[in-house]
Amino acid sequence: MRNKTGLGSKKDLNADLNLTPFIDLLSTCVCFLLVTAVWIEIGTVEIKQSHGTDAKPNKKITYDLDVVYQGSQKLRLNLKKNGRTVKGFRVKGENFEDMMLQMNTIVQSKVLNFKNKAIEIASATVTPRSEINYGNLVKTLDVLRKNKIVNIGVLSARGK
Amino acid sequence: MRLNSSLVESTAFEKHLVNRKRKKSWAIKAAGFTLMLTSMVDMFSMLVVFLLQTFSSSPEILITKGVELPNSVTPSIVREAPVLSLSKNGNLYLDQKLVGATTAVTKSPDLLLKKLNYIKNSWAKSHSDPFPGEINLQADKEVKSTTVSQIMGVLTSSQYQSIQLAVIGK
Repeated sequence: MRNKTGLGSKKDLNADLNLTPFIDLLSTCVCFLLVTAVWIEIGTVEIKQSHGTDAKPNKKITYDLDVVYQGSQKLRLNLKKNGRTVKGFRVKGENFEDMMLQMNTIVQSKVLNFKNKAIEIASATVTPRSEINYGNLVKTLDVLRKNKIVNIGVLSARGK
Repeated sequence: MRLNSSLVESTAFEKHLVNRKRKKSWAIKAAGFTLMLTSMVDMFSMLVVFLLQTFSSSPEILITKGVELPNSVTPSIVREAPVLSLSKNGNLYLDQKLVGATTAVTKSPDLLLKKLNYIKNSWAKSHSDPFPGEINLQADKEVKSTTVSQIMGVLTSSQYQSIQLAVIGK
């Protein structure tokens, strides 16, 4: 080492970063993260099959919603109060995606704003049909969940 | 021998020239193999940052072979529970093990109920809390919704009332 003038016999400070442990650490991190990486993000859509439980009936007046498929391009939304249908809405579309858009609009404008009053849907029940596949059923559940209707059940049908 | 005869027979100066040429070419090759540490550290750092961003500590479930999950725009976090799968070819799996054909199981669900009860009982033995009744249901997006609902009916009858439909989050 070369001595600096005016600094006595002190040696130069070696400020070089030791790269070997740094690369070791990075390699270990990369290996661990690659092994534990999640490439497909799986989520869930929760369904509560509440019929048949011993729970006491709720005394508070609430609205329920029934979603009944009547074909691959039409369905009916039945708004219920204390088990009785108070209003039915027909939803029709050119294809399933269009029908879902229509359903979303009706739920937002007519169901959740029933008689120009904001209401709360306690639970929704979807009645499946053999023309409707599981992927489309999940799309219907998505529409309900987007509108904050989270307590959803699927009716155990025998298939039409 | 014949190849090196010219080298053997050459003069000292010629030998020197040949050796110098060899050394020069080796030096050029050696310089080509030098590891570029700066780029390598850069690449590693970027990889670590990307992988840390995509890191997830939530529990994961395996997707059964032959099952194409539907997409969803409102997915929730996966919770640890038994996994029931309905494949496109009509088979039903419980925790990656074949139970039987879906049509046969819906007609006589005894075997499925037995396996579900076994899971429920072993859970009750190891936990003091009441059974939560949670189950993850995977089904191919082409499967009929009525088939899925029939399986849901079987699950409900066996106290599995909180069914989580597995979906691919966007």
